[in-house]
Amino acid sequence: MISDLLHKQIRFSQLLFFALTSSLGLGILLVVFQLFVDTQSLFGSSNDLLGNQTVIISKAIGKDNAFTEEEIETLKQQDFVKKVGSFTNGTYRVQGSVSLLGMGGMSTDMFLESVSDRFIDVQDENWKWSPESRRVPVIIPKNYIDLYNYGFAPGAGLPQINQKVISQIPIKLSLTGSSKRKMYDAYILATSEKINTILVPKSFLEYTNQVLSPDIEVKISRVIMEVTNPSDPKLLDFFEKNNYQYFQSELLSSRISYFLQLVLAIVLGIGILITALSITLVITNINLLILKNKQTICQLYFLGFSRKQIASVYHKISYKILGVSICIALILVVICKFIFAPFLTILQTESSAFSLIYVFIVAIVLFVVLALYYTKHTNKKIAQMTAVNTSLLTTEI
Amino acid sequence: MTIQIQTIIPTYFTPASSEVWSKVFSLESGQKYLVKAASGSGKSSFFNFLYGLNNKFTGAIQFDGKDILSYTEPEWTQLRRKKISIVFQGLRLFPELTALENIQLKNQLTAHKTEAEILAYMKRLDVDQLAHKQAETLSYGQQQRVAIVRALCQPFELLLLDEPFSHIDDVQIANATSLILEEVSQRNATLVIASLGNSYNIDYTKTLLL
Repeated sequence: MISDLLHKQIRFSQLLFFALTSSLGLGILLVVFQLFVDTQSLFGSSNDLLGNQTVIISKAIGKDNAFTEEEIETLKQQDFVKKVGSFTNGTYRVQGSVSLLGMGGMSTDMFLESVSDRFIDVQDENWKWSPESRRVPVIIPKNYIDLYNYGFAPGAGLPQINQKVISQIPIKLSLTGSSKRKMYDAYILATSEKINTILVPKSFLEYTNQVLSPDIEVKISRVIMEVTNPSDPKLLDFFEKNNYQYFQSELLSSRISYFLQLVLAIVLGIGILITALSITLVITNINLLILKNKQTICQLYFLGFSRKQIASVYHKISYKILGVSICIALILVVICKFIFAPFLTILQTESSAFSLIYVFIVAIVLFVVLALYYTKHTNKKIAQMTAVNTSLLTTEI
Repeated sequence: MTIQIQTIIPTYFTPASSEVWSKVFSLESGQKYLVKAASGSGKSSFFNFLYGLNNKFTGAIQFDGKDILSYTEPEWTQLRRKKISIVFQGLRLFPELTALENIQLKNQLTAHKTEAEILAYMKRLDVDQLAHKQAETLSYGQQQRVAIVRALCQPFELLLLDEPFSHIDDVQIANATSLILEEVSQRNATLVIASLGNSYNIDYTKTLLL
């Protein structure tokens, strides 16, 4: 009966407005959250297009163009630099030979370099080496394969090869250092679009440098850095001042990545702002519903109804509306997911249904948090309204 | 329930000297009291103090030795359900509910009376034929009788009636007082009636001039 009495003052249009504001805020928040989850793989290190924002620098060609320890330290201390890794090269002569079954063999002089694993865009459990290992994994730039397939192979009458085949080609590495010569079996583990050099595991390079040319000092030829904002003028100034060279194109894709992240952050920010506004609107709406019934609530209270009994009528209303709003928001999320899917495919990101699970979890958490907040707010309002000495209760002298 | 009143004075107006303000006295179970005063001298304030709606007073009011200022909100709710019943001067009926619904709303808290009993009470006060009419369509005198029945539909040890018969004719006052006195004596409750002057032919234990 108390519920019927309190509902008499509540208009359907008011509840509809309540539900709409609530759905709008929750919908925007969940859609942006879903977009955020879906685009995260874009910025992961495994994504070639917009992976970590890295820049490779080198010194101008000259006699002594290795980086010193002090220079590396200075780089690390710059506030626009997040992580610094160095390229080291083999201090020995390398000859690689390949023998293709039934097609003779070829051999070439080459070089080996290594860099910290965290800068490599290949994640493979075989990317490791120890002196007991049978073969050495090698990562080569992807454009080497392209050069072979589209440049060299057709002219030489050789077959084109794909990534799978390439890893099965046995390679022999002959390393000639200042004091020793050694042979190793190697294979191409993967190709990289990001790092333009022939890479071997760091442990292999350190070991062979030590064993083959113990007397030659290992030099840092190039430096790879993860930066916060590749367009930062401070960064470019710094390069200019120190005469460091960098790849413009690399910087460009990093800039795109930075720009996209910025846009996403702004969208998320606006989403949060709209959600905050909609929560404020919902709170105002609850206040309005309670205020409209001020007289009834006070009278019920001093007839002997507890605040809890009175508040529970409003709790039920807000839970129902919150539930409906969350459902509407989730429907919006699913619709948007289908709308966004083609665009995300263009951006080379894997759009899976997995992000929906995250969205569902967030929706449940939001429901619980908001329900608790609205409950607390309603209880507070009703307590305020029915407190002793409120004007309505004491108008009669 | 014994109610001890110890030198209470409202803090929001200065009352004239009286037999209530600044005095020490008690209201005993099974006794009937009339608080008699001109309009504006603080009758409703006194009732609001006793009912826990207003605590702007100095001095102390005790129910069975316990200071009423120490009661918590749930304790007051329990008191209003089981120990103290009131007819407000302003009645406080819900205009959108029918007369019967207004009474049932209060009755459902303790399920004190059956619907038949309620209708029998209404019949005694000659408002049974109005049971299904909306309260806002009733005359003030009819509303007063509905409010009296509502106040009787709960257990109580203290019954506060704030000018309950101001708009009721003498025949109905007689009906109402006999019903009220029956209920009060059945429960051995304390009865406090506020009136502007009329004593409604009730044999009071004491008349307090306010």
